[in-house]
Amino acid sequence: MKLKLFFSFITAMALTIGVVWADSVKIGFNVPLTGFAAADGESALNGAKLAVKQANDAGGINGKQIELVVYDDQASPKEALPIANRLIEKDGVKVAVSGSYSGSTRAAAGVFQAASIPYISAYAVHPDITRSGKYVFRTSFMGEVQGRAGALLIGQTMQHKRVVVITLKNDFGKSLAAGFKAEAVNFGIEVLNEYEYSIKDRQFGPIVAKVRSDNPDAIYASGYFFTAGPLVSQLRSGGVSAPVIGQEGYDGQQFIKIAGPAAEGVLITTSLDRDSTDPEARTFITEYEKFSGHKVDMVSASTHTAIKVVVAALRKAGASDPDAIREAIANTSLKAATGDISFNQLGEVRKNVQVQIVKGGSWHYHSEIRDRVLLAPPES
Amino acid sequence: MLYIELFLQGVLQGSIYALIAVGLTLVYGLLRILHVAHAGLYTLGGYFSVLAFNSTGSLALSAVVAMLGVGVLGVILYRLCYEPILDQPPFVPLIASIGLFIAMEELYRILFGSYGVSYTHPPLQQMLPVAGLYLKVGEWVTLLASMVLIGGLAWLSGKTRLGLAWRATVTDPQMAESFGIDPIRVRHLNFFIGSALAGVAGMIVGILNNLVEPTMGSVPSYKALAIIVLGGLGSVRGTLVAALALGVVESYGTIYLGDLLSRDAIAFVFLILVLMVRPQGMFRRV
Repeated sequence: MKLKLFFSFITAMALTIGVVWADSVKIGFNVPLTGFAAADGESALNGAKLAVKQANDAGGINGKQIELVVYDDQASPKEALPIANRLIEKDGVKVAVSGSYSGSTRAAAGVFQAASIPYISAYAVHPDITRSGKYVFRTSFMGEVQGRAGALLIGQTMQHKRVVVITLKNDFGKSLAAGFKAEAVNFGIEVLNEYEYSIKDRQFGPIVAKVRSDNPDAIYASGYFFTAGPLVSQLRSGGVSAPVIGQEGYDGQQFIKIAGPAAEGVLITTSLDRDSTDPEARTFITEYEKFSGHKVDMVSASTHTAIKVVVAALRKAGASDPDAIREAIANTSLKAATGDISFNQLGEVRKNVQVQIVKGGSWHYHSEIRDRVLLAPPES
Repeated sequence: MLYIELFLQGVLQGSIYALIAVGLTLVYGLLRILHVAHAGLYTLGGYFSVLAFNSTGSLALSAVVAMLGVGVLGVILYRLCYEPILDQPPFVPLIASIGLFIAMEELYRILFGSYGVSYTHPPLQQMLPVAGLYLKVGEWVTLLASMVLIGGLAWLSGKTRLGLAWRATVTDPQMAESFGIDPIRVRHLNFFIGSALAGVAGMIVGILNNLVEPTMGSVPSYKALAIIVLGGLGSVRGTLVAALALGVVESYGTIYLGDLLSRDAIAFVFLILVLMVRPQGMFRRV
């Protein structure tokens, strides 16, 4: 009897330990699921979950399943700080991804750098993020780089020279405008005026009235779909017909839903080519729509790419040593939905910029910017 | 011409502010509650309208749904949340109201999705230039509707027995009650009218932006407070003037001070400047 009890005890122990042994590989993930950025957060989470599911279906990390440890940071730095600490201290993650905006990603990046845990920003654009140190990477374009691409698109491809800049007053918009204005001169662009608005603004009546009197050839306007949608629709109904050039913040079906017919002809610089024939991009586009029930957008594609980079690094370096994982990420060379991914010294991604245009109510291929000199991110 | 257009844009924005802030000032005048959750009812007006329009295609019906639905919910909200704590010190209902507002935002996100809702066939979007002024039909309608609604409110409070009862209750609740006025009914009416106006404002903004989002009320939640302080707490006339003045200041400020200050900052600098000269607000009797 005693022996039986003993054996069942041993079995129970073995089972418990067994569970611990078969423990999953954790990837930390901060993302805004509530608050003003919740829409992008939902896309980011779906993109990340899809990448994890695909990786797990393909055998996980050396037989272990991947677990995404998700925290809602409300896109707020004061939420992101404790989350970063919690991911490191309590959850013991050895690598993490930000599915959030610049403010919160910058705050968390410092914590991960100090703890020597690799951290990838999926779509936050602020230059200081990767400057936190060598453990921090970014799989999307820096704001400045994309701003430069916008200048090339307007000044060279479209040959428009008199431009009004409408800037969203946050990290995202300001770094885009800085890149655009720095490069505009080289393409013979004259910036007639620049107007700034806050992320909470949805009504642009005064700016529209002023832009109409400026009468520009083109408008370079930064924003997210929820600001750019109303802006573009109000520009058109306010009698402004100059082409509008935006960036990845517009990138999603929501923008077209909000702006309606006014969205037609709007151009953006972004990461994902909807008409791509590349199997990576095609698989992502079809599987994401099946998985989430939404159309793809830049945020989901970029987050999917970031997780994919992490998974590849974990497979190469194992899941226990953050330094080995960092090394593997730094030497990444893979094909993702957003293009061929590799990093420079600073941890900034090197890839081509996709130009997409709204035609017939959806995003389509317009052109691709391959100028590696213009698109080169800073090395330090 | 540009100056006139900017002025008109300011008046437009101001009349939307007015529709929101009037309800807030009515509640404050009667109950001395700073009703932050009012902005949540404004958002709800946007949702009611867009959902009704998308399923029926009738703008008139969606206006009725927004007004009545939000009006009734305003009364329910008063009964459930404010009435039980009316005898508490003023910060208690204030905190309840802030909590309620945050809960409402998250509830909308869960119910209607985080991406927001847009009109499938946005109404009133055509441009209608009148005398060289470029406004879309929806914007002209907004100007007209807010004049009619606020005019109607003035008539109700100035020329009817109902208005008399309401004003008597604001001035001296006990005396009014002893003359046979039911203060409970007055409060219900108060919340109904204020909330219905906020519902209309939500509908208008939803149409003009073609977007109704869970966090749509976050700016009005504090800007409307600034407006009623500016107008002299509890004064309807003061609130209207303050709302229009703020709209115009913001409109010029966005263009000529935009490099220095954001729209919200302009609003609060204006508030501070006015309060420095008139600490009691623009219209409050001292």
